[in-house]
Amino acid sequence: MELKVIGKGVPKYDAWGKVKGEIIYADDFTMPGMLYGKVFRASVPRAKILSIDTSRAEKLPGVHAVITHKDIPRNNLKARFGQGSEIGAQFEGLYRVLAEGEVRYFGEPIALIAAEAPEITDKACELIDVQYEPLPGVFDPLEAMKPEAPQVGEKANNIASHFKIRKGNVEEGFAQAQVIVEGFYQVGYQDHAYLELESGVAWVDDDGTIVIRVSSQVIEHFREVAEVLDLPHSKVRYIGTLIGGGFGGKEDITVESYLALLAWKTRKPVKLTYTRKESLLVHSKRHPYYMYYKTGATRDGKIVALEARLISDAGSYAALSPWVLLYSTVDAAGPYNIPNIKVDSYAAMTNTPITSAFRGFGAPQVNFAYESQMNQLAQKLGMDPLELRKKNLLKQGDYLATGYVYDRPVPLDVLAEKAWKALGPKEESKKPHIKVGRGLAVGMCSYGRLTFLHDTSRSYLRLELDGSAVIRCGVPDVGGGQGHILTQIVSEELGVPLDLIKIHVTDSQLTPLAGTTTATRQLYMSGNATLKAARELKKRMIAKTAQLLSVKEEDLVVDQGKVVSRNDPTKYVALVPLINRMSADGEELFVEAQFNAPFTDVPESEIIEGRTHPDFTFGAYAVEVTVDEETGKVDLKRIVAAFDVGKALNPILVEGQIEGGAVQGMGYALMEDMVIKDGIIQTPSFAEYLIPTSKDVPDVEPLIMESMTGLGPYGAKGIGEPPIVGIAPAIVDAIDDACGVRITSLPATAEKILMEVKNKNKEKRAS
Amino acid sequence: MKNYKLVTIFVNERPVTAPVEPHESLLDFLRHKAGAVEVKCGCNQGDCGTCTVLFKGKAVKSCLVLALQANEKDVRTIKGFTGDFLMGKLQESFVRNGAVQCGFCTPGMLISSYAFLQADPQPTREEIKTAISGNLCRCTGYKKIIDAVEEAAFGEASTKKATSSGSPEISEGQEEAKGTYLLLGGG
Amino acid sequence: MISCDYFKPSEVGEALRLVSQFKERALFAAGCTNILPDIHSGKQKDCVLIDISDLEELTGISKCGNSMRIGSSTTISELLNSSLIRDEAPLLYEAALNFADPVVRNRATVGGNLAYASPAADMAVPLLALDSRVVVQSLDQGLREISLREFFVGPGETVLSPSELILRVEFNLSQNFKVFYVKVGKRNAMAISLASLGLALKIDQTIKDARLALGALAPTPIRACRTEDFLMGKFPEDKVMEEASEILLSEINPISDIRGSREYRVELTRSLFKRAFRAILSEERGLS
Repeated sequence: MELKVIGKGVPKYDAWGKVKGEIIYADDFTMPGMLYGKVFRASVPRAKILSIDTSRAEKLPGVHAVITHKDIPRNNLKARFGQGSEIGAQFEGLYRVLAEGEVRYFGEPIALIAAEAPEITDKACELIDVQYEPLPGVFDPLEAMKPEAPQVGEKANNIASHFKIRKGNVEEGFAQAQVIVEGFYQVGYQDHAYLELESGVAWVDDDGTIVIRVSSQVIEHFREVAEVLDLPHSKVRYIGTLIGGGFGGKEDITVESYLALLAWKTRKPVKLTYTRKESLLVHSKRHPYYMYYKTGATRDGKIVALEARLISDAGSYAALSPWVLLYSTVDAAGPYNIPNIKVDSYAAMTNTPITSAFRGFGAPQVNFAYESQMNQLAQKLGMDPLELRKKNLLKQGDYLATGYVYDRPVPLDVLAEKAWKALGPKEESKKPHIKVGRGLAVGMCSYGRLTFLHDTSRSYLRLELDGSAVIRCGVPDVGGGQGHILTQIVSEELGVPLDLIKIHVTDSQLTPLAGTTTATRQLYMSGNATLKAARELKKRMIAKTAQLLSVKEEDLVVDQGKVVSRNDPTKYVALVPLINRMSADGEELFVEAQFNAPFTDVPESEIIEGRTHPDFTFGAYAVEVTVDEETGKVDLKRIVAAFDVGKALNPILVEGQIEGGAVQGMGYALMEDMVIKDGIIQTPSFAEYLIPTSKDVPDVEPLIMESMTGLGPYGAKGIGEPPIVGIAPAIVDAIDDACGVRITSLPATAEKILMEVKNKNKEKRAS
Repeated sequence: MKNYKLVTIFVNERPVTAPVEPHESLLDFLRHKAGAVEVKCGCNQGDCGTCTVLFKGKAVKSCLVLALQANEKDVRTIKGFTGDFLMGKLQESFVRNGAVQCGFCTPGMLISSYAFLQADPQPTREEIKTAISGNLCRCTGYKKIIDAVEEAAFGEASTKKATSSGSPEISEGQEEAKGTYLLLGGG
Repeated sequence: MISCDYFKPSEVGEALRLVSQFKERALFAAGCTNILPDIHSGKQKDCVLIDISDLEELTGISKCGNSMRIGSSTTISELLNSSLIRDEAPLLYEAALNFADPVVRNRATVGGNLAYASPAADMAVPLLALDSRVVVQSLDQGLREISLREFFVGPGETVLSPSELILRVEFNLSQNFKVFYVKVGKRNAMAISLASLGLALKIDQTIKDARLALGALAPTPIRACRTEDFLMGKFPEDKVMEEASEILLSEINPISDIRGSREYRVELTRSLFKRAFRAILSEERGLS
């Protein structure tokens, strides 16, 4: 049957509230008698804390509480990042609320203050005295891996995590190779730079429940906050707000524990909002990686061996570093059918701010490396980059690097070709110093969480007596329409018009827990849960109608406000009378459904084998740039992004993810430079850490393929993270095409490019 | 010793009187004294544009204006445009074109767009890009915002599609996306 | 804790009395595009803000005989809306187009940009190349005219005494100059200059007059006097350009900072000067 609502670019239900300025974001909310919270932070990157004296701060008029680690029932937790089940020691991490005995990174939280005005909290910070004994720190992961490096974390050796892929035999593979490309790649931090700062308000309810109204991608963290306070899980409630940008930066606990502690201590509502400087200095970032790659191929372009060594900067607390490393390891060889693969990956702790989740979650880093390898291999072989891809891309039925058989179509050859052809004929530049170049890259990015996490999601649906509907789903909405799309699903399945559907989202107690808005999993998980609920209700409606009309269930469909027989349109029951009859007969007009992702076992060793994720999304980028050879400046002229999204439930939202992800990836590739020196970030403002403005980007051209082969509702795949995978190597390849320099570290700044162009010209003149 | 001065600012034509410290910004006043939390604070340094309001008829970043400089003057936030034809067109266009994802940049973005279209009702796409270049957006990649401003200026039929010349285009209906679709058979 | 004060004088005389009273603590506040971020970041804690944003005497763009007069509280947007500036001071117009972003331009003032004296001050480069004068006033020194070439002393420092207010900027309108302005930033809007350059040449067979101003390449915005002297009287040709660019490199003194290294800025200077020179030559020859 033709879909009526699914596949339409209908506006989100939250869009009008946003254009009218009516949405109350986290920092917009106030409560009577509310206090203001602030975090007092370490002003050194590595030290022993000899003493903390908060007495002067506590005496300051207007201060209601000053909290240090000793006031916290459980300051140190073995964090499973919201996960309920056992995940194995490799994947756990220490979650420490406030510094205890030592400082591991510059800006580490040492104390919390609650006072009657923000200026008072600022003054109180000046009155806290901390005695530090500076310790030697280590600020680079390669240094941190050396045996003589100072210890950063709980383990003597700074390697937080180590994984391996072993497929075939790389020595034999390389022996067969006639052409070998080796490369050393380096990628730096990236800050989420969401426009809404970390923020929330917490209060203690009349029955002692701590309520935290917060901008968060994971409301399941109520469990950890409860444990910090030594309260039952049922006594901590998260109310999630509409989030002003997440991208993984609001996936870990940000302000929630601080809010809960201050509200609990003062018994008053407390608001805490970071400043932009604070956020840039201390909140979690994308992992910097060092990557060494060796790729071997036969002369006709068949890749026979790939070896990679990955080292990520795990920061001073592991957080999600092992998980990100696992993703990188699984993705390290790219979407290619390579018989012999050896990957060794390490996450090394350093005395720098925490590195954790960021859109792509380890995929963009290795994608930059493996696609740079592919493009260089094409150059060395004298082969068209598209042809080289076609010779090696995974196909349905091939083994992934982990040995898992990928049993769905991989249309990357079509996507890459369409993207490349979409660029059309190349027009050369009229100015001698401006060079035009084009680049191609493909990428793979998982959707759905790691399968050993046993991911589940729940959604509740109820029909009202007048035919309208209410959905309750714990899904956090970061702006991608995570809540909205569920209304389209219900409207499609039950024929309820969109404007009659009301959805409540993101309350850890009042809405069924839908799981994290991370890992490109919400459409897949809460979408399927909602679809399941809707179809169950539909089944009941059809069963009832069959009974009432004495018609076979198989003959009945829901269409245009009625349940009607396919064969005889005069046989129908209108929805409203049907619902009322069902209600009168005591039938349940509500369903709470749970959807389970595939489950696998927690990896027990460092060797990663088998299935790790539910599925992958594949995409290709074709990019055109100009490079000004006199200044090194890159101007992005065209970005074509071809993605197989399975099914575009709302094409405008899908395009929005592709366009936004491309630009965020372009920033990563060209201008987002988080400079850090001896563990202290030197660029803690939006004037120094630069993200793209409207004048820095072309109009991204999305090409959307609908293979219908996704695991999400109606065959959809996830599209939240994938668009950030593939653009960086395409841009770097285009730069190479334009001016003959191969940039191997990101960001590919104008300075790097100009200096490389100058060197290349010098060498040319010398030879 | 705190030094307060009384200030009266006409916020969306409604006078709001409150004591402010000399260094307080208009943004502080709007959010904390006038209850105008629709004006956002993204950086407090003039680098993001989320605090953009109309001040004496011009788009300004309210974190860069002293509250006292706005004494007896008019400030218009996104909530001050009820019944305004141009803003209504802009808002509808933003909603319809998918120009609103997380929405945090949206109030400031709308005000910059509004001020721009008032001064330049028939802009080129490049001119629109320049007009919003002081307003950061991290979600949309700007394209749909520019589409929306263009549509508000010229009407629905005019929105320029940015697909390349070689591919087929889907052009019927506003609800269809402006991307290009490739079909790989049924699943 | 921040403890500032605020006054709003109704005319220049009152402003001068206030600043003479508060001296170093006094800050003239117009667009506040630098003052407020400095207050928020803690760079300014205890200042007396003297609001000059509504003083009539400081407004206006006018042509007075052969000279252009720009009131110090003229905003960058006002420069862009002025046909006088667009037609008769294209170097200034071009710099204004590349200044910050359109919203900040509605507030940032010419006088404020000069007084803040960032080495990268975007108004300084064109105004230096236009041989501008700054007209200032104070109670103790009265009215003074200062050549912009002597105005900047160091990063954030000018020759102004704490009690002097910039009234306006003036420059003579010279005919027959061909001009070129370029600014390089790390992105295309809201970018602090990595390097900026304004070149004005008067050519009649040989170079009759040369003015070369640079920003972000020394402790202050500068005029490259030795390069200008070298260019005078020479034929405008490639080998002159090459030699001039080497002299220019000896006049700049860029630092390495988070935006770029010294070496890169030196390379940029060379590239941008040659680009400017060639562009003016092409225009001169009627080529496009």
